[in-house]
Amino acid sequence: MKIVIIGAGEVGFHIASRLALESKDVVVVDCSSEALQRLTDSVDVQTVVGSGSSPSILDSAGIREAEIMLAVTDSDEVNLVACLVADTLAPATKKLARLRGADFEHYHESFKTNAPHIDTVINPDIEVVRTIERLMNVPGAVDVGDFADGRIKFVGIHLEAGSRLDGVRLADLGTVLQEDRPLIAAVVREDQLIVPTGRNHLRAGDLIYFICEEKDLISQLAIFEKQVTPVKRVLIVGGGRIGYRLARRLEEKSLACKLIEKRPERCDLLAERLDRTVVLRGDGSDQSLLIEENIPDMDLVVTLTGDEETNILASLLAKRLGAAKTITQIDKFSYFPLMSTIGIEQVVSPRLSAINSILQHIRRGKVLSAISIKGEAGEVMEALALPTSDIVSKPLKKISFPKGAMVAGIIRGETIIIPDGDSVIEPDDRIIIFATRTAVRGVENMLAVKLEYV
Amino acid sequence: MRWRYILNTVGVLTLFFGGTMLVPLIFDFFAGDVSLLPMVEAMGITLFCGAALVLLFRHEKTETISQREGMAIVALGWTAIGLFGSLPFYFSGPNFLFVDACFESISGFTTTGSSILTDIEGLSRGLLVWRSFIQWLGGMGIIVLSIAILPFLGVGGMQLYKAEVPSPVPDKLKPRIRDTAMILWKVYALFTVIETLLLVAGSMSFFDAINHAFTTLPTGGFSTKNASVAHFDSAYIDGVIIVFMLLAGINFSLHYQLLRGKPLALWRDSECRFFLAMCLILTLVVGFDIYRTVTPDVGQSLRFAAFQVVSIVTTTGYASADYELWPAMSQIILLLCMFMGASAGSTGGGMKCLRIMLCFKYSYKELFSMIHPRAVTRIKIGGKPVPEEVVRSVLGFLALYMALFAVATVVLAGIGVDFVTAIGAVAATIGNIGPGFGMVGPVENFAQIPYWGKWLLSWCMLLGRLEIYTLIILVVPEFWRK
Repeated sequence: MKIVIIGAGEVGFHIASRLALESKDVVVVDCSSEALQRLTDSVDVQTVVGSGSSPSILDSAGIREAEIMLAVTDSDEVNLVACLVADTLAPATKKLARLRGADFEHYHESFKTNAPHIDTVINPDIEVVRTIERLMNVPGAVDVGDFADGRIKFVGIHLEAGSRLDGVRLADLGTVLQEDRPLIAAVVREDQLIVPTGRNHLRAGDLIYFICEEKDLISQLAIFEKQVTPVKRVLIVGGGRIGYRLARRLEEKSLACKLIEKRPERCDLLAERLDRTVVLRGDGSDQSLLIEENIPDMDLVVTLTGDEETNILASLLAKRLGAAKTITQIDKFSYFPLMSTIGIEQVVSPRLSAINSILQHIRRGKVLSAISIKGEAGEVMEALALPTSDIVSKPLKKISFPKGAMVAGIIRGETIIIPDGDSVIEPDDRIIIFATRTAVRGVENMLAVKLEYV
Repeated sequence: MRWRYILNTVGVLTLFFGGTMLVPLIFDFFAGDVSLLPMVEAMGITLFCGAALVLLFRHEKTETISQREGMAIVALGWTAIGLFGSLPFYFSGPNFLFVDACFESISGFTTTGSSILTDIEGLSRGLLVWRSFIQWLGGMGIIVLSIAILPFLGVGGMQLYKAEVPSPVPDKLKPRIRDTAMILWKVYALFTVIETLLLVAGSMSFFDAINHAFTTLPTGGFSTKNASVAHFDSAYIDGVIIVFMLLAGINFSLHYQLLRGKPLALWRDSECRFFLAMCLILTLVVGFDIYRTVTPDVGQSLRFAAFQVVSIVTTTGYASADYELWPAMSQIILLLCMFMGASAGSTGGGMKCLRIMLCFKYSYKELFSMIHPRAVTRIKIGGKPVPEEVVRSVLGFLALYMALFAVATVVLAGIGVDFVTAIGAVAATIGNIGPGFGMVGPVENFAQIPYWGKWLLSWCMLLGRLEIYTLIILVVPEFWRK
């Protein structure tokens, strides 16, 4: 499978390295030979120097043989033109573009049916705001993903010291809890991803990923001793595109919202466009401003400035001053492992969001959605079990899954089955599979249609 | 530096290399030859050492390797393979001292073609095949071959590839390094088959044909005959070999484009044009020179001139005539050809045409900016601007090449070799050509070089094959600092 990626920025870089590890043929196009040099130093991909919007460059990158083109440069215009050129040169190639401008939002559909024929438009800003909303609703969660149109939640949560689950063997979970036990899909301990078996113990400080139905979420969270306190007052630091979008959403939900922004012109614009939100001009890391605006009473502080160091400091400061919960925007992936050490738990990243949505579109077979977890060590996929694939009509224990992969849930019509070894997947079930990075390719192969049926 | 990982990988390469010893064994077996036993012994020891390295230094799978580690793997791997490759020679009888066996083996792998043998035809068939076969392995690169065949190397393959096939402007034919390596080897193998067939058609025996094909395409130059290609004394065979030497001296990615139906690819590439033009011009000059003084026959002099110029420029090193009997101008031209070498991305050695072109363009740029002090200029190759850092690294390479040549010549002369021989031997080994001048001319061999001189020249051959940096970096103290 050949994939052409336009743009070797953070998103392009990470998608390229992910796909190259899965042994796909990746060609990356970027104007900067330095960026490409950095890429080829660590990743096995082909590179072409030049603008992704140029037909001759796209041709030399082999767009005609490519199955998928991803336009993920920083410029919406370049991405659009690249798709347009690709549409002319290779109409059969699937196109996926990142468009961040809010103006494009209402035209995504017409881009799909008309000229550039972009199969998927990704706006990470929208994804990030969605993620923030999900995190707001699930207290204590570090990571929340939706499957089966939101009916199934995939939640990552830290196990706190002193919890009654601390030190419990997974096989004994049922006896300790004597109630619905959570389905634990993965545990992250000291940056190592573990696919747990019955013999594994839970320990304080573990990041536990579990899967549950939406209606059971509250009771499941209670098992982990996380109480649900509805969010009423929100402070947003940073009034950029995402900050503005979030404020709008919160207004729709009639929550009390304050927004701090440094640049005076931007403040004017925000004040013009927002109705109920209190727009404050100032610095998010200004302690006196935060106290003045009554930070201890805030249920949630979201830091969304373009500068991640400022975000981290502002979140830490807000926490110290008594804010109940913080969500921090961070884009540098190398910072992620540090976050829990310095006490920042909930993190959002437009780039990670973009990567997640791109990934689910390029998975083979009938993968409906895919979410990467913690530092890209693994992936959770929702897939349609095709009648011709290897996994249907036999008990799970008879299927040889790749090492590091497990079926975490089966959705059949309206019912959701938490599977054991004897469960059988039927054709057209939707299944939720958890897989470590190395197992992804094997899982993909299992899900894909066998050749003779194509 | 993860030494366990590096030694483990070297172990895997050694194992793989031990496996390739099956090829001469098969030849031996069918010829019912006496060299069967030394070959089996050598294979056993190689496989044992490889397995020992792999088992002693077990290492968990890694996803990336650094450039430093890649260079260390390639440098150590080549040294190890050079040593293990000498075993069949060493075990074959008392004629081979250890130093001679190593010299012969390294000369083979680095596709140099310098030999310490006085009587080549006296060797057993198995050893003759082994001599040619190691040239064939070394030409496209044994590590490139293992990247193509062994799946585990795929991940860190790029760093290894860059260290084994250094090129000023590396190009990848396919998105994945493994596919790229596979294509290069396929083109290489295809040309080898075609040349074998053409040589057989020219009334050469199959055995001689495949051996010469094995040593033409890597631009190696080992022959199965004492008199090299001159033994056959056939214009047809000379012609076939000239064509394939030229092909081997051209960037293999151009051949790939050619085979994919882009016949103009060779012509569009400015380095290829430069290379072919140089071959043509020098052939005419040398041909005229020897027509005047040695052979008063136009056809003969052009044939010998073309063969010798192409053989030296592509760094193959076959001889169809004793060029030491030629006039001084021709000899000097051939000496200079030893430095120029073939195209980047070919199997040839030397400094490479691309670097020479860049160097001249840089000099012209300096002159130009003296005339137009405020002019903004960029060095271009084939219409494409060359990044400043590439030009810098090329100039650094040329300076290092000349410096190492100078040092090695002085040391070799110090060991007790005469003036012409010292220059000729070092130029011929560091450029991976084969025969030099003086004591080591086309009709003599390297047997008379003193003991330490042989080790020095062996090292020069490795330096030349790995294009200096990969090997020389091992002696830079900074490389070893933690």
